[in-house]
Amino acid sequence: MTTELPYAADAEVSLAYDELDVLRIQYQKELAQGHVTVQTKFNYSWGLVKSPMREHQVEGVRLLQDIYRAEPTRRRECLYYLALGHYKMGNFDEAKKFNALLMDKEPTNMQAQSLSQLIDRAVAKEGYIGMALAGGAAAVGTILLAGLIRRATRK
Amino acid sequence: MAPTSQAPATTPPINVKLLLIGNSSVGKSSLLLRFSDEQWLPEDESSATIGVDFRVHKMDVKGKKVKLSIWDTAGQERFRTITSSYYRGAQGIILVYDVANRESFEALPRWYSELETYVSSSVVKILVGNKVDKEFSRQVPTAEAQQFATRMSSLFIETSAKTSVGVKDAFQEVVEKILDTPELWESGGKSQSTSNGRGGVPGGVQVVNLGEEKKEEGGGCAC
Repeated sequence: MTTELPYAADAEVSLAYDELDVLRIQYQKELAQGHVTVQTKFNYSWGLVKSPMREHQVEGVRLLQDIYRAEPTRRRECLYYLALGHYKMGNFDEAKKFNALLMDKEPTNMQAQSLSQLIDRAVAKEGYIGMALAGGAAAVGTILLAGLIRRATRK
Repeated sequence: MAPTSQAPATTPPINVKLLLIGNSSVGKSSLLLRFSDEQWLPEDESSATIGVDFRVHKMDVKGKKVKLSIWDTAGQERFRTITSSYYRGAQGIILVYDVANRESFEALPRWYSELETYVSSSVVKILVGNKVDKEFSRQVPTAEAQQFATRMSSLFIETSAKTSVGVKDAFQEVVEKILDTPELWESGGKSQSTSNGRGGVPGGVQVVNLGEEKKEEGGGCAC
């Protein structure tokens, strides 16, 4: 009996091309008519943020920021998906910032807690890679230095 | 667990995808939390689900190892378009209402019509009347709900996520019925072997695969 957490399903699962298309077409139709409903815009930005393509994620985050500013009643979900979008793009500081804003409002929100753990993990992983690179560089440096010293002592 | 043929030594668990649906505040997330973590959050500490939440839970049913992917959808109207994309590939649907909230029961036909649109008729459905701990303010008689469930070809149970009455049984019954429904395994088996095909996009199976890839990736980087 085990449960695997943390998990942010919306971070991993993307829509099919035609599913995202449905949301995009609705958005563009309303845009052409001069009035985009918040719901349409939100649905489209949700689909974009879930996409594996970076340009989609960027556009999704941009739309979510619009909604966040214009619609106070939609702020909690915007914060969550803004955090998720930035997390997927690798902007962990931004992701943390938005997720922290959500957790300020809802300290017991388990989705936000789970996302927070995911972000921390990603940051730690990035740190390890950084350390490994630095460690590698140091090793190369040592070898070079040893070579120089050897050459110097030979003379 | 897609590459079953490569690991004959240990029998891989059977993957089952379940979906929790129903009106806002009926206790879908609470049922899941009680079932998977044996926990319960009071109403003022719990928050409405944003879009969808997800949990993996392993259990033994009829001597078989089962890996449940449980999708907990937001009940709020504003997430309807979003949540409907998670129906695909589900083998079991848990429809939840609040026995102390008549409106959440009256809303069920709408949820059922949504099911007709998105899932095949062989998918196992269970109607769950939650919050029986609020017996004193009950608005939906058991008999009436039982009758409705029968008419909708659904299993039926009453539960309380707060006191944990019936919660385990609800999940157990759905999974048992799913294992006993061969139609779900003919098509379900196929979709499980096509790992990341376009077909089963928001499917639980795909998520499981992604999880595994991630682990492998992590292992590779540590070297």
